[in-house]
Amino acid sequence: MNFFERMQNLDRRWIYIVVALAIIIPLMIPYNSDNVTSPPTENLYQMIDSFAGREDRAVLLSFLHDASTMPELYPMEIAIIRHCFERNIKVFALTFLTSGAPIIDYAFNSVKEEYPDVKSGVDYCNFGFKPQPMALVLGMGDNIANAVNTDAEGRKLESLPIMKGITNYNEMNLVVEFSGSTAGTYWIYYARPKFGVNVALGVTAVMAADEYPYLQSGQLIGMLTGLKGAAEYEKLVDVFAAYRDPKVDYRVKMDAEGNKIIPGRPFGKEVLNDESTKKLINITTQTKAEFTPADYAAFVAKYPEQKAIFDSLTEQEKDKIVIDVSKITPEQRNQMGEYAYRELNKLTYNIDYKFKVARIGMNAQSVAHIMIIVFILLGNIGYFIQRAKTVEK
Amino acid sequence: MKKTIPLIMVIVGGIIFVLYAFSPHKLLQDDFYNKFYLPWAYASAPWAALLGVISLCMMHSSKIKRRAPKWQYSYFFFGGFIITSLAGFIGGTQKGSMLMWIFENMQMPMSSTMFSLLAFYMASAAYKAFRARSAEATVLLIAAIVVMLAQVPLGVKIYKNLPIISQWILDVPNLASKRGIAIGVGLGGVATSLKILLGIERSYLGGTD
Repeated sequence: MNFFERMQNLDRRWIYIVVALAIIIPLMIPYNSDNVTSPPTENLYQMIDSFAGREDRAVLLSFLHDASTMPELYPMEIAIIRHCFERNIKVFALTFLTSGAPIIDYAFNSVKEEYPDVKSGVDYCNFGFKPQPMALVLGMGDNIANAVNTDAEGRKLESLPIMKGITNYNEMNLVVEFSGSTAGTYWIYYARPKFGVNVALGVTAVMAADEYPYLQSGQLIGMLTGLKGAAEYEKLVDVFAAYRDPKVDYRVKMDAEGNKIIPGRPFGKEVLNDESTKKLINITTQTKAEFTPADYAAFVAKYPEQKAIFDSLTEQEKDKIVIDVSKITPEQRNQMGEYAYRELNKLTYNIDYKFKVARIGMNAQSVAHIMIIVFILLGNIGYFIQRAKTVEK
Repeated sequence: MKKTIPLIMVIVGGIIFVLYAFSPHKLLQDDFYNKFYLPWAYASAPWAALLGVISLCMMHSSKIKRRAPKWQYSYFFFGGFIITSLAGFIGGTQKGSMLMWIFENMQMPMSSTMFSLLAFYMASAAYKAFRARSAEATVLLIAAIVVMLAQVPLGVKIYKNLPIISQWILDVPNLASKRGIAIGVGLGGVATSLKILLGIERSYLGGTD
């Protein structure tokens, strides 16, 4: 038996071992792979972003999946919730599956740890498990408070501050369904034609092909596809929503013209192509906040009382002023105050692990994809060589 | 009688929902849907869940009694069901509760592992079966490789226009066939619905009648 014959009859356990290694090694040794964002992801990001700071707009997240599809769908969910929290967007969540209820709790609680000011019933609202999808999808088109009645904690919806300005799909004008099946079509079939609600999907990669017709016809305003979609959304949140300008004081809620100051920056394709964007999407640990002298002066001007502490932490690197947050002692952090520390930490662009998990996963997926392609090619080469030999004989 | 009453219920209910979908009249939109249908729908849901639990318990207990293949695993069902239910009823469902601990440390990793096994089967199947045996198979093979490569950052590094080509494959040839199937399914759905509404299709009643 020659080499190619052996390869054709390779035991599948060898393939499993190679795939396992292709997944495990990139997870253990992460590298900064950049994910090119696709239009369906960008459209969804921009749609959600357009609700920033508005009382009369809200996003509804529908968690229609159980724990099995969490590796792909959960990173999307926390990326969108984070986006909403960063940009002061009202966010609601519900599930039509009993097994989806703990996922909503888990997602909100995980993201909330980084946003101590965010409150349930004020900034977000969890409807929890609701039976009868059809009844609810159509009922909310008339009046959300009537159709849903109470949130997951049993509070009357009408009494919650988050409901101010929110009546039906006219205000809660975007539904994002996370699903491992075609269940998202509930919203496309019933809610969109009757009430005009915007619908977007977050689906597992294997289900994406089923949803493309709706995307192309405009029935879906955006779609996140598998881990790739999640990684793209994570990147957009880092580059735009979680971005902090050292010169802007985000504590001041109104600017000189009376407009609300919303953290982050507006979406722009050119920003994505900019070299400086790369440092914002690094998945490896970053502990240094880099300033130009002008940016540093503007930053410390916002915190005149803490200027001495900041000055003591600065280091000069080429033409940049650098502060390494890992060198800040607990005493210095206390003196600085929690708000100033958090703002400084945000300028390091050291994104928390849970907010870059899809990008880390994409490293592994990348290698696994290449590996599968190599397998396919090897299999075909062996097949043709064997066939040629058979013809010769 | 056993079949006539359910048949009348389905026909009347179906017609009311058709009218509800197309008529903006208050009688249908508000009186029927919001005041009548919604409360009844919510009231019926717990009974449906109870029916599911009873059915599942009956199935597993009968499996244990009959010593059906792999009957031992049914004990795990009862164990998991009882412990998880008690954890939820006693400790609540909030963060830090036992239910959430079970969810985070048992259900999440186990379910995710099952789903992730798909990658291994795909790799093995691709290696064993994905062969360019004919012109059609070759086209499929090339399209699959392009789409797979375009999905990952490494593919974009190899050739920067790969995502555009992949998007074209997904949007044009893929959707052309996909739409054909979808329209066929849609027409089939409409025909079946009409047959049910008119009482021609009765297989859902569980007999031939």
